[in-house]
Amino acid sequence: MKSESIAESSVGHADRRWLFEGIGLTAVIVVLAILFILINPRFGTITNFINILTQASFIIVMAVGMTFVITSAGIDLSVGSAIALITVVTFGLIKGGLNPLLGVLFMFAFGAFLGFLTGSLVAHVKIPPFIATLGMMAGLRGLALVHSAGEMHFGLPTSITYIGQGAIGGIPVPVIISLATAVFGAWLFNRTRFGLHVRAIGGNREAARLAGVPVNRVEVMVYVLMGLFTALGGLIMMARIDSTQATIGNAMEIHVISAVIIGGTSLFGGRGTVYGSVLGALLLSMMTNALIIAGVDFFWQLVVMGGIVLIAVAISNLREQRIPLLAHIIWRRPSGGADTKPAQGPAQ
Amino acid sequence: MAQAASDTRNAATVLNVVGLTKSYGGLKAVDDVSFQVFEGEILALVGDNGAGKSTLVKAIAGAQPPDLGRIEIDGVAHQLNTPREASEAGIGCLHQGLGLVDTLNVPENVFLGRELLTQLLPFVSQLDHRRMRERTIELLSGFGISLPRLNDPVVRLSGGQRQTVAISRLLLQEVRLVIMDEPMAALGVEEGRRVLELVRTMRDRGISVIVISHNLEHVFQLADRIAIMKNGQLIGVVDAGATTRDEIVRLITFGTVN
Repeated sequence: MKSESIAESSVGHADRRWLFEGIGLTAVIVVLAILFILINPRFGTITNFINILTQASFIIVMAVGMTFVITSAGIDLSVGSAIALITVVTFGLIKGGLNPLLGVLFMFAFGAFLGFLTGSLVAHVKIPPFIATLGMMAGLRGLALVHSAGEMHFGLPTSITYIGQGAIGGIPVPVIISLATAVFGAWLFNRTRFGLHVRAIGGNREAARLAGVPVNRVEVMVYVLMGLFTALGGLIMMARIDSTQATIGNAMEIHVISAVIIGGTSLFGGRGTVYGSVLGALLLSMMTNALIIAGVDFFWQLVVMGGIVLIAVAISNLREQRIPLLAHIIWRRPSGGADTKPAQGPAQ
Repeated sequence: MAQAASDTRNAATVLNVVGLTKSYGGLKAVDDVSFQVFEGEILALVGDNGAGKSTLVKAIAGAQPPDLGRIEIDGVAHQLNTPREASEAGIGCLHQGLGLVDTLNVPENVFLGRELLTQLLPFVSQLDHRRMRERTIELLSGFGISLPRLNDPVVRLSGGQRQTVAISRLLLQEVRLVIMDEPMAALGVEEGRRVLELVRTMRDRGISVIVISHNLEHVFQLADRIAIMKNGQLIGVVDAGATTRDEIVRLITFGTVN
């Protein structure tokens, strides 16, 4: 092109952004793994690595869904409770004689329905996602307890436990499912119109609406998708331990949201990465595993995880230049320059 | 300029506004305004704060439907009740905030809502990133512009570059008329100059432009004709080449040349 460019004011700093995304996080995981192996060789066995992947599998599946939710500038606190309700009800049906395949289909339908409910509350009733899903979190947990308080369900048909315990060529089925989910999720997020619309409504809902994006419908779909991934996560979980109870999945939302935030998806919406979320889930799973091998008390594991999440968000805010002073020092560039916040005021 | 203005006299009428009136409570913000915009001309709309400029263009852009009056585009009367309807009728609006999604990159912003897709399987299609990128480069290079980082989120672009992206969006919709509200506000001198060039390029392609500006220097650099509003009424439309800045200032302030 014979053309001149308007300005080259946006220099190299976009490259640094990747330091913490994808490549950066991959490096962190590799370095930590090497460190753990040096500290305790038991950490470095293939069996242990497969173990880490298996433990991460249902978090990965749900983190993929949560990436869409958080990128749309939403949040879903109800995933743990949804898992409890979906699994106890499905367990009951299958134990009552329902065909296992129909049981699995029912799980997905139930998950999608719960997501539709949440999404409608957010998109149409205009309840802020945090509050809407907080309500769902309490309500669904309550329903799970109503359904089977104090009951421990177990004894699934092998056709279902295979999903959690089987292996193909030495690789556990949950790992295969989670990787397939991640690939599908990344495609949906980056390559489809739906993914683009999710990123658009998270970035600037009003601009997306003016551009003709059906913002409400997309928002409902985001939570339906989360519901489907939650059902899949629940399926893997109950098949793996061949049991469930009304208290299962307690505080699971913290793990899932943490994985997404560590991965680099912006809590402010508009920007996310499925790959990062997978890495975030792996990092958490790896840390937990290392702490267990090191014999660290479970309560301290929670403390460590909390610390990781806070550090990850701090790094993310730094990267997005939301901490003016520090950003200035690190990037040597004034925070939020004049052109980053276009005037939105009403015309005269 | 005078040359261009007389040329447009023979051109087709793109926009014909007849007796447009809009009241807020007892106040007539726009009072029985009639004017035309011809194909490929730049019409500047000037007036004091509160003269009714924004109310007038909001009615034309479908953002605030008028109480009375008729809006014709290419000779066809339109009811413009939403921005979407205005856009479908061929009227594009460049808002002050530009209506871009900061976190999306350039092609994604240009094509948002009008994505190019490729069919993978029956009922399964995906975004055609490559074709959207190529079309974006085409649109931009038509203006003699290349953005160095098409894949960066537009939040990293300068004010003028963002204007370019927003205008490319409008071009994709094949608009007949673009409304720009203070397009040069908050831009540096050099950036402002580029946007002026951009507006002229649009005119040269047969797109009509209504531009609101407080900066008379820009108005005289750009406009073929100047429409002056005062107290909700249109007090005159003059050829930019046949008037002086002094005259315009007096019209804006006193409503007459004397």
